Order: sequence, then structure tokens, then C-alpha cells
Amino acid sequence: MKKIIISTVAVSALLFTVTSCKTDFDTDVKDIQVSKGSADFSKYVALGNSLTSGYRDGALYIDGQNESYPSMLAGQMKLVGGGEFKQPLMGDNNGGLLLPIGGGATAQIQDTKLYIKGFVDGAPDIGPINNNKAANLVSNILKGPFNNMGVPGAKVAHLLAPKYGDIAGIAGKTANPYFVRFASSPNASVIEDFASQNPTFFSLWIGNNDALLYALAGADNSIETLTPPAQFKTYYDMLISKIEATKAKGVIANIPSVTSIPSLTTIPTNPLTAAVLGKGNVAAGEAAIDDLNKNVYGPLSQILTALGAGDRIKPLSKTAANPLLIKDESIPNLGAQITAAAAGSGNPTLVMLSAYLGATYGQARQAKSGDLIPLTTKAAIGTLETLPAPIPASLGARGVAYPFADKYVLIPSEVKEINDAIDAYNVTIKAAATAKGYAFVDANAKLKQLAGDSGISWDGVKYTAKFVSGGAFSLDGVHLTGRGYGVIANEFITAINATYNSSLPLVDPNKYSGVTLP
Amino acid sequence: MKKILVSTALLAGVLSYAGGFRVSLQGVKQLAMAHTSAHAEDASVTFFNPAGMSFIPSKLSVVAGGFGASNKVTFQNLNTLQSTETDNPLGTPIYAAITYKPIEKLSVGFSFSTPFGSTVKWPENWEGKEMVQKMELKSYYFQPMVSVKLAPWLAFGASYIYARGKVDWDKAVTQFNGTVNINDEKASGHGYGFGFYFRPDPKLDVSIAYRSAIDMKAKNGTATFKFPTQTPYSLLKLNAAGQDGFSATLPLVEEYTIGLTYKVTPKWQVSADFNYHGWERYSKLVLDFDNAPLATNNPSDPTVLVNPKNFRNSKTFRLGTQYAFTNMIYGRLGAYYDESPYTNENFIPETPSFDTYVITGGVGFKLKQFGVDIAGGYAMPQYRNVNNANLGFYGQAKARAFYFGLGLSYNPF
Repeated sequence: MKKIIISTVAVSALLFTVTSCKTDFDTDVKDIQVSKGSADFSKYVALGNSLTSGYRDGALYIDGQNESYPSMLAGQMKLVGGGEFKQPLMGDNNGGLLLPIGGGATAQIQDTKLYIKGFVDGAPDIGPINNNKAANLVSNILKGPFNNMGVPGAKVAHLLAPKYGDIAGIAGKTANPYFVRFASSPNASVIEDFASQNPTFFSLWIGNNDALLYALAGADNSIETLTPPAQFKTYYDMLISKIEATKAKGVIANIPSVTSIPSLTTIPTNPLTAAVLGKGNVAAGEAAIDDLNKNVYGPLSQILTALGAGDRIKPLSKTAANPLLIKDESIPNLGAQITAAAAGSGNPTLVMLSAYLGATYGQARQAKSGDLIPLTTKAAIGTLETLPAPIPASLGARGVAYPFADKYVLIPSEVKEINDAIDAYNVTIKAAATAKGYAFVDANAKLKQLAGDSGISWDGVKYTAKFVSGGAFSLDGVHLTGRGYGVIANEFITAINATYNSSLPLVDPNKYSGVTLP
Repeated sequence: MKKILVSTALLAGVLSYAGGFRVSLQGVKQLAMAHTSAHAEDASVTFFNPAGMSFIPSKLSVVAGGFGASNKVTFQNLNTLQSTETDNPLGTPIYAAITYKPIEKLSVGFSFSTPFGSTVKWPENWEGKEMVQKMELKSYYFQPMVSVKLAPWLAFGASYIYARGKVDWDKAVTQFNGTVNINDEKASGHGYGFGFYFRPDPKLDVSIAYRSAIDMKAKNGTATFKFPTQTPYSLLKLNAAGQDGFSATLPLVEEYTIGLTYKVTPKWQVSADFNYHGWERYSKLVLDFDNAPLATNNPSDPTVLVNPKNFRNSKTFRLGTQYAFTNMIYGRLGAYYDESPYTNENFIPETPSFDTYVITGGVGFKLKQFGVDIAGGYAMPQYRNVNNANLGFYGQAKARAFYFGLGLSYNPF
């Protein structure tokens, strides 16, 4: 009988619980009203560089522009009173730029976008589309104003520069062809064209190129320079004060570390296998290795070992992947010692080459963990340096027999130099956001997360910074895919909502395009 | 790449139905009483406890029945404000069982059932399409059994279980602008069950049963990819038809059940059950592909894809009652609470699961040797917050479900 009572009580309790259970959502998303909070999105203008323009796959083209993060933001802003978002769309989906050079002739100053032609042994074969024939004339000036003022290639200082849209300045690099396309006049600066629109809201993501271009140039000062942090601060603060004068509210983003992008992390430091050296023919590659060991690596290894620097160069292996040969300006130059040792070796070949060996290999070493090889360097592996007679031409094979010059490799000290500069830039950016009360996006942290092992997952799709297969970076290894820009757009939205009490919904990154596979 | 199949919980739905998002539909009489187990009136006891056969009054008992199970799941993403509803077709599990007593002390029986059968169908283009678009599951249990009456008040019974299953799973592979279908029609496994059935007092039935874990082995599964072009085939090491084989072992978990029925009066009985499901065994699902290097996170063997599942053991509490209005008409009611086998952090859309309250009811008619029973159940799954960081799947999910069933029984002697 006791059991019955217990059971009955339990049944009643259960039924009671049933009536109070939560089977329906407290709030149905269909009933949620989105709000602009304290912001006014009616005139949103985006400032920035290629990342803002929607540039990807090494080019600016229509599909990429339509999937730029400012365009995504504008789409969400429309839900709460945002206005039209006009972009300086390119003429086609191939990208690339032609500059008229007089007499009806044109010079192609930008390549068309990259695409995957196919796969070779599981590795993507990537090249410019449409046989790299661009059709977009820089002189085809678009009628603005435009809401997306992202200018590929722009550094901080460039946004302030007058005549940055003057077609006559392109050759001398005082102007930018992408800004030329939509500047209100040849004399205009980006920031002037921005201010003249009286924006109510802005986004600013600039400064990447102050470090990135230098990094992609292998930190070779003769090609690109790293903006000194103090100079960066001067320009950045100047820019912010001009933006502040417009009274627009806005959001600013910091700069991602450039050393975790696929463009610098994809090529291993040791790509030289027998198959690679023999261009697919392993036997030929093994013969090449024997030859290199006999004529270059073996003697150099012996000489350097005798000089107490034997860790610089070791003979190549036929069975394992071998490191690239690079020049490292940060290590002591043993050129004179190498020349002396070669001259005194008694080996007629070495004696004959002694001066050359010292001059060429004084700061040579094999690449190792910590060195970064830009994606663009891959094509240069094994290409020939022109050597003075009577040096055998085969010794000029770059990265194999001839040390890669500065521009092909980032050595650890250069990586540190770049990252230190970015850290300093980011202090400036964060300080500006804090001082002016702008929403702040830690893009650096987000892209670090992307570069981590677990990446970023969204509705079952995992994004990582891995080249091609990671899905977030486009084929240039620097710029994001539509999906990657979607991830970033959500960071902007989150920051905007947090600062201005708005409730813009996030975008679904999965619905944008990733790497286009054939 | 990994994500292509990351949530490839092959027969996960089978598993899930076995105890978590459980549609307990094995006997129409039982369902009407919250699917409680200590009922030895006819052969439908066989699924619950083979020892129960010994207490079936008739020498030969035959039952058969079928159900309709309708459910709908809604997922809403509070960040993007998207809302998605499933379009699941009606599930139609069926069962049949026969028991026979060649001698008084010995009963033999056979149970056929489709205990786990459902289709979860999300819109093809919904936000979670890379996890699942459609997951169809079917299973068949073939269960011969024997029971021995050890004493007038005690029986022991044991069964052998041959399980057969089918999975048919579609999901998007947006990286290649395509889809993949994961299919195995011939997954199988072996298990056993045993139990004790007590009747210490004519008024009291007690059922204690154990059903073993079953390793469902999908040995010859096929993953069929469909892409706009065939270029990815070689990349994924697929054959000319875009296919690759896979194998997987899926742990169907063990279940412990204690049930009792008390006859308060000759006309009125009350039943209670407690189930314990050993879901912890399902900590991960491993898919071993023949060739496809889909597991980029597993460099040592990229053809072995490991998906974390992190299920936990779960419990079900059941209470039911039956009242005989006449000796021909019976009324039944019940309610039960079924715990989800995973936390909000492990919610997966291919096998949506909720803590669920269910109320049940039914009517039975006895016409000489024939019995006709109908039952219905209304489920009240508790909405839950979805917080799966591994999949980046965030939002809220709710569901509703109802069941109805029609059962026939024949007890000629």
C-alpha cells in the first residue's frame, strides 16, 4: 500500500512538472526586433586597404567586392535604417588593371585573379585566370561617392595623401590605381573624399600594409619598407583626428600578425627532396644531390665545421626532405675564412672557386624552423642566378646551390622586427579607439585563433589558416575568402553592438564563398 | 576538409534513438502505461524482459503492432536570427512477437522489432547543412529467447539479439559545392539480454532486465560524394563514381531496467520503471575510410576520422496505470521522463535530443482470445540551449512529438 501512495504522489509530481515544463522558447527569433542602439547607420563609409575592398585571390573583382566585410556589415545595417552601400565595382570577375600609356597602348599593372587550374599530386596548381589578360582600365573613372573606400595597397599615410588618386602619379608610386578609379578628383585624398560624404558611421581597418608589404618582400628594405612605429602613430593619430571631425561614430580594427598567414607559413623550410630536385625524376634528383654534395655542400660543410660553424650547412640527404639554402644577414660573415680555406685546400676546383665561395657563402646557411618562406618564393626555387664566368651555371640555382637572397626569406630576426612593429601599431590603434570611444575589433586575436590548431568552427564548418584547405584564406594566402571575411564581419558586428548597444544580427559565414575548387 | 565529415555520426541516430531521443515504442499496451515493463499479459513483454514470458497466462501468445511517430525539431540561432524547422516524415516502427510454452516450466519466444527508426530531415540549405541535411535510420532486431520458471514466483530468461541496421545520411560539402551521402544498409551486431521476473505476491510483478551493449559493425559502408566536377575525386582519393568505402563500429549501449506492477485492486494496477542507459560508451565515433584522407587533424593516419560525441549515461523514470472498466475494456495512462544523453555542449543536429516529459494513454479491448489496443503519447521535449563549441553550433532547439499505436494480440489457450 505504501508503494501505491508513493507511486501516486510521484505520478502527480510528474504531471505537475509536465505542466510547468519549458517546451517553447522564451523568445522566438521571429519576434526579436533588431535595434541600432545609439548608432546611426544611415550613411556608413568604410575606410581601409585591400582587406576592406574585398580583394582576394590576388585581385579585386566583383564577386569579392560583393563579399567584402563592409558590404556584409551594410547588409545587416539595412535592417536598422542603414542606407544604400555603393561600391566602386570592377568591370569583371577577373580583376587586374590596365594603365593607358599613350598612343592607345596599355600596360598591365595588376595581374588577374588566381584560380586553381587543377591538382597535381594533391597539390593545387594555381595561376592567374584568363591567361592573365586584364581588361579593367584604370582610366575608367567611376562616379562616386562610394561607401566602400577600401584601397588595395594603401598604408596609413596614403589615406591622408593628396593626389593619391592622380593617374599621373601611378608610375612614380605617389598614387594608387585603385583609388584613381574612384577618387572624386585627381587632387583628392582618401580622407577628404570620406569626410565630404558626411558619414554617420565609419569602419577603419588600416595599417596592415605598413608591415605586410615589407614582410612579403622578405623584409628586403630595397623593395619595401617597414613603417617605423613612431611614424605610424603620427599618421594614424592624424587620420583619427580627421575622422573625428566628421562626428561619425564608428569601429576600428587592429592589425593581424602577418607571420601567421598562409602566404608565409605554407612553404616548408625543407622542400628539397630528390623528387623536387629532379623535377619528378627521383633518379635525376639523386644524381643532383650527389653532385651538390660533392661540389658545394660537402666542401662547405667541411670548411665551416673547421671554422666552428658546422651547423650552417650539412650535406643533403637522398631520402629526406632537405632545407633551402639561404643568406642570413644576421650571422657573422665567414667569407674571408671560407676563401682562405678553399684556397688552401689543395683541391684545384676549390682553389679556383675560392674567391667566389667566400663571397657567396659567407653568410649562407640552411633554412630551419623559425624562418618563413613566402608563397611567392616557391616559384623561384632552382631558378638561376647569373654567375660570373667561369663559375658553373648550375651553382646559380637559387635556394639549392645559391643562397636565397634577403627578399626570398624572412629570418627569425626579421619576423621579430615585423611583429614588434605590429605590436606597436596595435598599441596606437587600441589607444585611439579607447580615447575616442569607437568600437574596437581585435582582428589580431581573431586571426590568431584562425591560425591555431582548432581554428574557428561555424555550424559544423571548420576554418583554419591552412592554405587552400583551411577555407578562410583566398589563393593569395594573404587575403580572406568570402567566408573568412564573414568571420571578420561578425567581429565588427559584435564590437559595434557592444559599444553602441545595437543588436545587428551576425552573418552566416558559411553562406559566402570559400576557396573555389575546380 | 575535416569538416566534410566531422560530424559523421554514422549510426549515431540509431544510437540516439536507443536511449536518448528515445521513442519508446515496443508494445501498444506498454506505451499506454508510459512504456513500463512489468507486464506479463502477452508476448509483448519479450522486448522488455525475456523472463516475463514465463508469467504469460496462455500457452501461445502472439502480438503485433505498429506506431506512428511524428516529430518536429526547431532550431533558432540567436546571433543570426535564423530559424529552421525539420520536415520529418512520420516514423512507423512495428513489432511482432510470439511466445510458446512447450512445458509449464519452459517458455520460448521470438521478438521482431524495429526499435530505432526515424528520419530527421532539415531543409537542404539550412545553416547546419554541413552537419546534416537528412539522416534516415532503420533497424531491425531479431531476438530468439528462452525463459525458465525457477519457482512459481520466479523466472529467469535470456535472449540472443541479432541487430541489423541501415543508415542513410546526406550532408553538404560546401567547400566543393557538393554533397556527401553516407550509407550502410548492412550494419549488424550481436547482443544478448537476460532478466529475472518475480511475482512474490499475486498482486506484485517485478521485472529486472539487462540488455547488453551491441557493437554495430558497418563493415562495407559507402560514402558517395557529388560535386559539380570530378576534379576533387582524385584529391579525396575517390573512385570513378566519387565513392569511397568506410567501416565503423558503433556502440549500441547497454540498458538496465527495473520495473514493477502492483495490483491495487483486481481492476486497478499501477506500474513504475527505472531505466539506466550506458551512453558513456559513446564517447566518439571513428570512421575508417578506405582511401579518403578526410581527417586532416590526424596526420599519422588521415583516413581515420574521429568525431567526439561525449555522450553520458542517462536515466528514464516511468509511471503508468491501468484500470479495467469491464473485463473487456481497459483504460491506461502514464507519464515518463527521459533524460537526454548529452549536454548542451554536445548537441548535434543529426540526432537532436532533449530532456523529455511524455504523457501517454490508451484503451484496450479484449474480445475472447483477441485483444486490440490503441495508445497515444504526447511528448514535451524541454527546449535547450545549444552550445557546441566543437562544431561552432550555437542557438536554441526545441521539439514536439506525438505517437500513436495500434496493437493486436492473440492468446488462444
